[in-house]
Amino acid sequence: MAERKDLAPREEKREVAARRRARVMVPPVDIYETDEGLILLADMPGVSRETLEVKVEDNVLHLRGEIAETPGEEVRPEYVEVRGKEYYRAFTLGPEFDQDRIEATLNQGVLRLFIPKLESEKPKRIEIKVAG
Amino acid sequence: MPLNWTWEWDPFREFERLQEELDRLFEWVSPFRTIRGEEVYPRINVGETPEEVLVYIFAPGVDPKSVELSLEGNLLSISGERRAEEPLGVEEVKPERFVRQERFSGKFSRVLSLPESVDPEQVQAEYRNGLIVVRIGKKAERRARKIEVKTS
Repeated sequence: MAERKDLAPREEKREVAARRRARVMVPPVDIYETDEGLILLADMPGVSRETLEVKVEDNVLHLRGEIAETPGEEVRPEYVEVRGKEYYRAFTLGPEFDQDRIEATLNQGVLRLFIPKLESEKPKRIEIKVAG
Repeated sequence: MPLNWTWEWDPFREFERLQEELDRLFEWVSPFRTIRGEEVYPRINVGETPEEVLVYIFAPGVDPKSVELSLEGNLLSISGERRAEEPLGVEEVKPERFVRQERFSGKFSRVLSLPESVDPEQVQAEYRNGLIVVRIGKKAERRARKIEVKTS
């Protein structure tokens, strides 16, 4: 009997771990560099403004989102490619970026972030004087 | 609120187990990629209630006007194009300026076989938060029909 007691929680743990792993999805991103900063695009279909969280903590940019509308309990799954309802991804920001002025917009499941470079880090045009 | 995207109930436990074993075999393959490393776009879930079949098409950042959805018998086709770089809002996109490029770009086309009971006469499609939800009533009848995608 003691054995059985021991087995049950182990099984549960394995299941919980499996579910947690299945749940969190990694959104694909594009990162594009301009003279002014970085533009980051992340695909997070199903996420609404209310269920999106973007934050910077200790130089790490965290993107988190949840699918806002999920089917009710009456819907029986027939075929599944998207399992889970949570997206998460994190990026480390270099010291050349201005963390206080990050702009975020969300449009039809695509998150767009603009991460500006600090003024001192922007490329400067060097004037070449023609010696004459 | 119990949520179905997690598909936690019994019939699926076995699928989940298989999925895990596959994951272990192909550890470098994330759920977003095919074996060749390309992203599947759009990804699709199908659910069913006694009255209707629900198709969830995960198509972020697509212009609904460019999406062609049609139902012929029980075959649902979806095709269209997504220009991944459009939301960059950059006048001239220079490929060498991409630090990372993972998002799908270009034309897509997928065909899905739905339960035989779907009725092409009762179809509704809506686009919200980058997710197209197609609701199809059930009835034994087979006719091709074009579906318009509404933005809400």
